[in-house]
Amino acid sequence: MFVRFFKSFRCLRQALLLGMVGFSSTLYAQNCTTKIGAVLPTSVDWGRPIAATAQFAVDLANEAGGVAGCQVEMVLRDTQVDPKVGVDAAKALVDLEKVPVLLGAVSSGVTIPILTSVAVPAGVMEVSCCSSSTKITALAEEGKTKGLWFRTFATSGVQAAVGTMLARDQGYKSVVVLYKNDDWGQDISKLTVRSMKSLGINVTNSIAINDGQASYRAEVTEALKGNPEGIYMALYPKEGISVVREWLSLGGSQKMIMANSMKSDELKDSVGLKYLKNALGTDTASPRVESASKFVEMYKARFNSEPNGPGLANSFDATMIALLAMEAAGPNASGTQIAAQVGKVTDPKGTPITADTAGFKKAKEILNSGGSVMYQGATGNVRFDANGDVSAPAVAWSFTESGTKEERYITLDEVDAFMATMQ
Amino acid sequence: MIQHLLDGILVGSILSLGAIGLTLVMHTLRFANFSHAELLSVGAYAALVFDGLFGAFYSQLRSTIEPLSLTWSLILAILFAMIVTGLSAILIDKLVFRRIREKGDELSMVFASFGVAMVVRNLISLLFGLKSQLFSNDIAFAIVISRDPMILVKPDQVFVLIASLLVMLLFHLVLSRTTFGYALQAVAENPVLAQITGVNLSRMFRMIWLIGGSLAALSGIFYGLNNQINPVIGRDLVLPIFAATIAGGIGSVYGAVLGGFLVGIASNLALMILPSGYSPAVPFLIILGVLILRPNGILGEARA
Repeated sequence: MFVRFFKSFRCLRQALLLGMVGFSSTLYAQNCTTKIGAVLPTSVDWGRPIAATAQFAVDLANEAGGVAGCQVEMVLRDTQVDPKVGVDAAKALVDLEKVPVLLGAVSSGVTIPILTSVAVPAGVMEVSCCSSSTKITALAEEGKTKGLWFRTFATSGVQAAVGTMLARDQGYKSVVVLYKNDDWGQDISKLTVRSMKSLGINVTNSIAINDGQASYRAEVTEALKGNPEGIYMALYPKEGISVVREWLSLGGSQKMIMANSMKSDELKDSVGLKYLKNALGTDTASPRVESASKFVEMYKARFNSEPNGPGLANSFDATMIALLAMEAAGPNASGTQIAAQVGKVTDPKGTPITADTAGFKKAKEILNSGGSVMYQGATGNVRFDANGDVSAPAVAWSFTESGTKEERYITLDEVDAFMATMQ
Repeated sequence: MIQHLLDGILVGSILSLGAIGLTLVMHTLRFANFSHAELLSVGAYAALVFDGLFGAFYSQLRSTIEPLSLTWSLILAILFAMIVTGLSAILIDKLVFRRIREKGDELSMVFASFGVAMVVRNLISLLFGLKSQLFSNDIAFAIVISRDPMILVKPDQVFVLIASLLVMLLFHLVLSRTTFGYALQAVAENPVLAQITGVNLSRMFRMIWLIGGSLAALSGIFYGLNNQINPVIGRDLVLPIFAATIAGGIGSVYGAVLGGFLVGIASNLALMILPSGYSPAVPFLIILGVLILRPNGILGEARA
């Protein structure tokens, strides 16, 4: 019964998709279709809007006449947040659908195997909206991504840098680092320790916190050694509560810096606001520019809701940039040829273009006449570094009665300038 | 070093209380009860509810007992929670384990206990939500015992340790000085033989669940005092408690106490030599070490 229901649901969805394709191709009658692939976790609820936003960008490009003379069809496959499923899906898209570009994946754990075992060997360009691991940066530095890799989501390096910036601005001489013992926590703590040390802040210790322990006293006791002036924490709220309470009760400093994961009412209530007066948090942010607000308006008009989910603005930009690069590369271009054009569509000296149908049309004209453009999208003026990474503005926040408030907005230029001083 | 030892003893006392009940059940009912640790959560949440009730009705009970962060209402709530948890253990046995005991074998019981653990954990999340809760939002500050070497102790910890030791002593007296205690030991040793000598077996089984459940409740409440209360207490503590039980020797109440302290102290001391990322492996290393040296556990005896 359930299977039958599921099957009929799938048929219905396919019919709908076909209907949509049919609809758009009758509107803009062109005699060819270019396919691009998307490997996204559509089986989880926060993954579907990411895919829908990518499709939104494709639709805008098609309204502007498609890319390189053809209408674009986005072939979407589910990763189920599973590396094996994701690799299979990406392989099918590359081998059977012959896509030159893959959008995705979301989790770094899925993105990395797709990149190393599918995209790079096949010479397909991969653009991720959401993976933040600096492991990929390392791959790029070793030359293993062959320039085929881009992402529109800032790496954990941004938060680590902003955490360091806060420690410096508060004048902390010594800091102990506590981190969640998983890929994300290990990555962000390693980056934070490195950037703090480069500024001469003494890191007294860096301690892994495992979840679900009977007590965190031993870890906190270790952390207290060397009397650190401040504490940096990249923990999840559940262990965070136990660790912070233990830390305070053993006389630890109230000078705390926290990663975005600890932006939680639960943590604030359980620890008590009176002990969190000197606690500052970090988070990445969307830039405060016109193009970002314009995306919010466009999104609301299309989906009747705010783009509040994770990675939506990033997914939109990832797709738009891929499509612009395809336009610049011309008909039947390979993944490598398309990837080589990314610099031309995100050129700081190029003509600014907006992220809508009119902007896309304008970009087509400029690119076809051999010029370059500066894409101004949902995450601002996207600019990739040599490793395909982007930077992002950040915010510092603090706890208040009703939740959290923004203490300070750190612009992209400030973040970039600060990160440059540490290298 | 001394600080880690002290902290280890504290965690050990919490694990010991949980392990006593587990070892009794495992020995008398002959199955590894993976749902035992869920009784810790039941106890902690029951105490939370009673504490709230008593505090609401009798406001004078809400005053804390200096220098502890405990309130009188929580002390009362602990007693009620122990009874409620003991009764829920009996209820679970009546609904699930007894039926399987009559029809299936030991392995079915083990699988059933996994199922019971899931049901209990999810019922608790459904009723109370996934959010972490605390008996008291105030932070109890530690007292400096010595500055060199730095030794810090929280009054609550001392209370938990003394209370655990008293309960264990009481249980020891019951086991070694009363007819009921002898009967309990007899049932644990050989249920059929015990029945022949006139021990009411089903009554003894109920008593074992009641004692195991109430000690588990105490363990869960003390964990909550020391840490926080959330629906996954059982899941988080099931392995250390099993480690304590196995290391001490299944069936030996004193072994369970010893095993609890061993696991608690070793996990704390391990941090001095191992990076903290490896500390969850310590209980397993203890199990392996003990089983290689003494296959029946430190105080366990080979079953005839």
